[in-house]
Amino acid sequence: MTAAETPNPPAAPANAWQFVRRGLLSDYLVLWLSVVYFAVLAPFTPGFASESNLQTILAYALPILVVSVGLTLVLIIGGIDLSVTSMIALASVVGGKIMSADEGWLAGNALAIPVGLLAMLLVGATLGAVNGFAVTVCRIPAFIATLTTMMFVSGLAIWFTLSRKIGGLPPNFLLIGQQLWIVAAITGVATWLAHSALARTLYGRWLYAIGHNTRAALVSGVPVQRVIFFTYVVCGLFAGLAAILLTAGLETGNPEMARDNLLDIVGAVVIGGTSLYGGKGRVIGTVFGVLFLALVDNSLNLLGLHFYTITMIKGGVILAAALTDALRNKLLASR
Amino acid sequence: MEAIADGDANRQLQQIRTFITRKVDGIVLVPKDAQTCIPAIKAANEAGIPIVLFNRPAADAPGVKSTAIVADNRKLTRETVAFMTEQARKTGKKHKAMVIIGDLGDINAVGRKDGFYDTAKGQDAVLEVVAEVPSEWNQEKARAGVVNALQANPDISFIFSSSDFLFPSIVAALKSANKYHKIGEPGHVFLGGFDGDATAYQMLVEGYLDATGVQDVYFEAEQSVQALLDQMAKKDVATLILDPGFVIHQGNLAEKKSRMWGANVSKK
Repeated sequence: MTAAETPNPPAAPANAWQFVRRGLLSDYLVLWLSVVYFAVLAPFTPGFASESNLQTILAYALPILVVSVGLTLVLIIGGIDLSVTSMIALASVVGGKIMSADEGWLAGNALAIPVGLLAMLLVGATLGAVNGFAVTVCRIPAFIATLTTMMFVSGLAIWFTLSRKIGGLPPNFLLIGQQLWIVAAITGVATWLAHSALARTLYGRWLYAIGHNTRAALVSGVPVQRVIFFTYVVCGLFAGLAAILLTAGLETGNPEMARDNLLDIVGAVVIGGTSLYGGKGRVIGTVFGVLFLALVDNSLNLLGLHFYTITMIKGGVILAAALTDALRNKLLASR
Repeated sequence: MEAIADGDANRQLQQIRTFITRKVDGIVLVPKDAQTCIPAIKAANEAGIPIVLFNRPAADAPGVKSTAIVADNRKLTRETVAFMTEQARKTGKKHKAMVIIGDLGDINAVGRKDGFYDTAKGQDAVLEVVAEVPSEWNQEKARAGVVNALQANPDISFIFSSSDFLFPSIVAALKSANKYHKIGEPGHVFLGGFDGDATAYQMLVEGYLDATGVQDVYFEAEQSVQALLDQMAKKDVATLILDPGFVIHQGNLAEKKSRMWGANVSKK
């Protein structure tokens, strides 16, 4: 055998490592994982790839995506908002109290739906402003400020309704949640707006600058306090929008709405590559994160796994995402 | 297939849709509450899959079809409180009473509260209701409420709990007030509950609990399966099937315990 005919043994592992490295550093890693997960599970999971199941996945994932997109913006500035689920609960019951034909303040009035929708958005934005004020003016750490808001608002929602669920919502309002294309359109527009703001505007660049180094951003002329305040308001607004979708979908104003969804929301954002330390993240990553978590959740349900097993697996997936993020950072630093 | 929503109505809706995707022949749903289960029932109706609600009926909604198997909460509570009242009457004294109520958004809690007052209101010679403790089906809230009520009215000697699962909180509060004594002992507080769980069974065996209204879950399970089969066979099925349940107390414990689900859970 001549030298020219001899294969080069180290080339294969080197190429494989390059492939893994490229995959790890790709912005579309989670999307590829979702595609692979879907392709691998589909043959073994009855009904996983059916049209009705894909609709089920979307119906569950889209409201989660809306609130996750708002949270992505807050995480990019190095903040956190633990109160988004309680905002959803309060917005849900306030909207219900306005629109319900049974007990609504505007029952039967033509303005019930527009006023109800506006009020739900306003509840989210107002609570976002409270968080923003606490973080920027009172200088309370975001974790404590939003944890307190969560506790207060959760209690307020239950007190406001005396624990009662509010039914009798107007049929035209329920259409928002019953027609998947409407949910998809609303979610699509909200997500696109957030993506554009982040990727193509000065506001987006300010968010990254604040997340990277707040002091440096301040010195560079970024109106740091105003941007942080505004970002919490936007996050609240997205929570209000999610409340509209969830309330219409469940046909009920519910003071416990989304109470158990915080894991899915934060998890999806982290899986999507947004850093909990700030300065890094993309809306499209969050879209992939929500999609991946919804696929995992749905497939495990279809396989008949126990709820607690599913929760443990989802926790493991989120941990794996955090570890992958750490590995990506290390690889980027070694470039 | 089995799925647990762990109190999350949105998850429960997704799980029902998943069952529909798997083309199950019938669904037994333990609804999170009367309102939020309506989209799930609609989805099952649209897919032509029979659906039975276990332990809680849905709120009225046009065009929504299901069968609910539910304990007759009001009647069973009325009977339980009536038994307790008769025992209290034998002491020859008038008793100050406390009622612990559940989440009033839950139709079962409302039925139990109404059942309590149905009996208590006609018993002025034996009972005076001095405290109504809202628990919202939360043990911590129940405990705080019972402690406060016992501080305000230390001579309370008659307590009805809308659910047996609140007994650990009530017993803890009674122990701290030194008021937890067996039946027949001086200072015994008349205790009654609803459900028939393992804690209640243990308290009956140990002689602390006077009575509890037992939901006959075996009857409810049998009726649920039967209702599903009847719906599949296109037979007419009632929209509401009531479980009459039974009152269990010291006098009939040996006879009735085999039908008390808490006694059977306790054995395991």
